[in-house]
Amino acid sequence: MRDVWIAAAAMTRFGRRSESLDDLIADAALEALREADCQPDALVVTAMAPEEFVGEGNLASHVGTYLGLSHLPGIRVETATSSGAAALYAGLALIASGLHNRVLVVGGEKMTHVSTPRVSEIISRVIDPHERSYGATMPALAALVTRAALAKGLITETDMARVAVKNHANGARNPYAHFQQPVTLEEVMSSRMIADPLRLRHCCPISDGAAAILLTCDPTGLKLAGMGQGSDYLAVRYRKSLTGFQATQAAAKAAFKMAGFGPERVQVAEIHDAFAPFEILALEDTGLFPPGKATKAVQNGEVTLEGRLPVNPSGGLKARGHALAATGIAQVVELAWQLTGRAVGRQVNARVGLAHSIGGMATNNWVTLVEQVA
Amino acid sequence: MMETIAASRCPQCGWVVTPPVRICPRHPVEMTPLELSGYGYIVSYTTLTAAPEGFKPPLHIAIVELPGGARIFCHGKETRALRIGRRVAIEQTDGIFYFASLGIADRVSLFWKRRGAAPERTRDAVKSALKRFFSSPTDAAPSAQPPAEPAQKGTNSADTEHPPAAKK
Repeated sequence: MRDVWIAAAAMTRFGRRSESLDDLIADAALEALREADCQPDALVVTAMAPEEFVGEGNLASHVGTYLGLSHLPGIRVETATSSGAAALYAGLALIASGLHNRVLVVGGEKMTHVSTPRVSEIISRVIDPHERSYGATMPALAALVTRAALAKGLITETDMARVAVKNHANGARNPYAHFQQPVTLEEVMSSRMIADPLRLRHCCPISDGAAAILLTCDPTGLKLAGMGQGSDYLAVRYRKSLTGFQATQAAAKAAFKMAGFGPERVQVAEIHDAFAPFEILALEDTGLFPPGKATKAVQNGEVTLEGRLPVNPSGGLKARGHALAATGIAQVVELAWQLTGRAVGRQVNARVGLAHSIGGMATNNWVTLVEQVA
Repeated sequence: MMETIAASRCPQCGWVVTPPVRICPRHPVEMTPLELSGYGYIVSYTTLTAAPEGFKPPLHIAIVELPGGARIFCHGKETRALRIGRRVAIEQTDGIFYFASLGIADRVSLFWKRRGAAPERTRDAVKSALKRFFSSPTDAAPSAQPPAEPAQKGTNSADTEHPPAAKK
């Protein structure tokens, strides 16, 4: 298997954008191509639900043509809300296998032009149909997980709020973030209840945005060191445990195995905090903290920008925003910028980074490891 | 008589799921039908203040674990006094499962909150209220075998939400 390297990483600002999906994707892709100064020989495209949000299908050809790259072999990849990470994996596989040498991986989502109930309904289709027939939405399932974690004493409501406060503080320093204002603990804990015990300020926003990464077989110093996937039953009711995600545990195990090192080498992490308590659960599921230690780390500031292991320096899904298929790529863009000293305003000192992406209600999760080896 | 709930069982691993499905989610093996008694304990619950289309907020949702280990999604009248591990009855009204210790008034109100209206549902609601009134949960013996522990990677029985004090 050949080593795979990151030649360029770019993204648009996440948020409520007036541009079309095509133009958001083009902005990210062209920026990556300019930075890399080389041409891709294959294209991997991702968007979670462009058929629903913007009415476009046959996306690989659609995007290929818009970018002037229709002559390249192109595929579209989709694994619900982790589609961006899955697209990176496809790019990694194409290069590692020797099938291609330089792959442009680009993903985006445009949904703020659609009404919020309609967006929720489209996103809800990633849920098991029987559970959906009982009114289960993503916040509902996340609330069931959170309630169980609270009851087991794994997290407290204050810890959940601390995660949101930290990620908003980081987002306030990231010009690419959807939310660029800090929030206080009181604001989080008194915000509107969405799905008891989850409040508005625990939940990520609906964002537009795009991100692109050019992968190459030529060493660049920035290595895509490991990637792993973990899956689980679509139905939450089939799982014996609600309070840890088996899919994250399996993904982390596979990623560390490919990279040939363990969680102790990770110095910065981008975690899928679509709901604030998920950040705490993921810190343990990925092995970054031993069981029972993640809440301590949140309490004593170990995961802030100045801490031992900064988590979500970008602001995470909570503050940078969650443009569905763009998110998994944007997380790795943030790691690339952090590891090469380009994360202006929020730079941390790190050589190894971890990204964690959740698809659906943790049915198709990914862990990605990036290493600065130059 | 207690409510019975349609389920299916894997002939290979013994796993029981509800509603019944054709193929065991754990193996590509056809499942066989089975009926479960309608009671269990609360695994988790929430109240949605923003309910999806077709539902009126506040929407109370719970996951209940039935005898045999199968878990079921159900609605309820409220979650205010609810605790994880609490034993509840499962009532079926108009094909929808509800967790309850519910009074008749609660059930009638639940019934009217569902979208649409059909006269036969009133009969169902009254029937299930009477059934509950004349039966006590202790009468019902578990109809299925003890919970099948899945031999999944990354989880073990100590890692589940089984509250030891749940069954009193």
